[in-house]
Amino acid sequence: MNAPLALGAILLVAAATVLIGFHGLRISRTTSDFYVASRTVQPWWNASAIGGEYLSAASFLGVAGLVFLNGRDALWYPVGYTAGYLMLLLFVAAPLRRSGAYTVPDFAQARLGSLLARRLTSLIVVLVGCLYIVPQLHGAALTVSIMTGLPPWAGSGTVAVIVTLAVVAGGMRSMTFVQAFQFWLKLAALAVPTLFMVFSVQGLHPASAPLAVETTAASGALGTYQNVSLFLALLLGTLGLPHVLVRFYTNPDGPTARKTTVLVLGLLSMFYLLPVVLGYLARVYVPGIVTGTQPDAVVLLLPHALVPGPVGDLLTALVVAGAFAAFLSTTSGLVVSVAGVLSQDALGGGVKGFRWAAVLAMLVPFLVSVPTQSPALAGSVGQVFAFTASTLCPVLVLGIWWPRLSTAGAVAGMLAGGLGCGGAMVATAVLGAAAPVWVSQPAAWSVPLAFAVMIGVSWATPRSIPADAWRTLRRLHAPERR
Amino acid sequence: MTRVRVAAPTRQSRVISSGRPAPHGGRRASGEDDAAQVYLRSLLRSQLRLALVIALGFLLIAGLFSLVGWVPWLRGLSILGVPFAWILLGAGLFPVILLSAVLYTRQAQRNEERYRDLTEER
Repeated sequence: MNAPLALGAILLVAAATVLIGFHGLRISRTTSDFYVASRTVQPWWNASAIGGEYLSAASFLGVAGLVFLNGRDALWYPVGYTAGYLMLLLFVAAPLRRSGAYTVPDFAQARLGSLLARRLTSLIVVLVGCLYIVPQLHGAALTVSIMTGLPPWAGSGTVAVIVTLAVVAGGMRSMTFVQAFQFWLKLAALAVPTLFMVFSVQGLHPASAPLAVETTAASGALGTYQNVSLFLALLLGTLGLPHVLVRFYTNPDGPTARKTTVLVLGLLSMFYLLPVVLGYLARVYVPGIVTGTQPDAVVLLLPHALVPGPVGDLLTALVVAGAFAAFLSTTSGLVVSVAGVLSQDALGGGVKGFRWAAVLAMLVPFLVSVPTQSPALAGSVGQVFAFTASTLCPVLVLGIWWPRLSTAGAVAGMLAGGLGCGGAMVATAVLGAAAPVWVSQPAAWSVPLAFAVMIGVSWATPRSIPADAWRTLRRLHAPERR
Repeated sequence: MTRVRVAAPTRQSRVISSGRPAPHGGRRASGEDDAAQVYLRSLLRSQLRLALVIALGFLLIAGLFSLVGWVPWLRGLSILGVPFAWILLGAGLFPVILLSAVLYTRQAQRNEERYRDLTEER
């Protein structure tokens, strides 16, 4: 492996990120700039930025790794990640934008008029953010240690420092530019090597017969349960991701929010074809490329395995650059949204509070990530999706569509879903591979549980239905005046 | 679905809410208030129905696509050496997602247009 080339690629991406971030510093001056880029971001910029933010380590490295490892069953990951945006468009995008709130807790407070609901939502957002940042840092640690031989913490440390600098300097406005740039970098960083590899395998003889790739890791009823549960988590989890939601507030109005989402779907569809092709190529042509313990390294090792020589080196450097863009963009998006919530709820708001909150939101996950490691990035991220699907998704969907949602119901539902799904996640971490499938993939029962409790308790507590529920719903659904 | 007529809470017009005012909030005669409420309910219902139909339609197609792996004569099918079931799941669902999104956006905009026509003529 060509370590200097990989290091150079990492430094280049880091430099570009910091430069664009500091460029944003000159134009972000107000609190509103920091939090939501003053709501003046156009659909194309915003769609690229959302794509840039959303395509994390799990998408860039994890999907191909799981396709390599598990075959056809893993195809539900890219499809689910994309279809989650369809659900976001259908149930959340335009009304959420019209709600006029900065963050998810703002929405909860505006809709339910309850400080308790607000605090609980804030807690969940901070928890989700941190849980989601950790696998990004694991991805960075893995990439740097494999590509350069440096200790793993050097990778996660680099990401932590750059993200802190960029976010503290520019807030959301500059992050929009950074992330839009990083989307196109990620797309190119997978597309170019994929094209090269597709051509280079034309003369190769498949190591395994194409039909052998059909076999799936799990089969029968358990396999079906696992797929359905995972798909449900990905579909509904996207709805609640704080760093995705915060982006919707940067659209000028409801119809623009919809337009942006359709554009994002196009961009994601384009991107997710690539890791599928890469995973397939690895599975068919180089089945021995990595041992089962680190499937996420497939994308990093594949270019050199299929295209030897200096071209392979260059392609590898490109992939490394793309991977780093993925760690940086998702992490910074998460840090912005977590810092937004932390500073408003605990540090008194304002630009100064935001900066301190950003430092905190980066430091804690970093400290957690150093002594731990993710067995498979897409898997760890899938669990975070299950958690948001069981907590923030029901409160958003019912809050937007159901006038009878009561404050008590919302709080009880979030608690039931959060404790159920969170408990299963802890149990999975403790039991490891011994965890039964209904524990390691909790979404299939924890999401219905959260919805059922929310609806049931709301029926039982009609007195805690907010008096202005219809007034709020009118604001969410009535189109803007021309 | 049965239609249940529920009058708007009378307190509603007195509640002072933060943020920008609703397009038709504020003070008006109770008859007009009722009409506005009916229009809003029907907008809400048509948007939700639309979203659910599109979501279920997509899930149905996704389910059908995933069944292909179990059909014996389709299992053996492959295009340029890539198994058909892989192409269907790994690439075929993305156009379905995009089409659903475009269809939804157009119809949702139309629903809002209708609501606007109903409420702004007054």
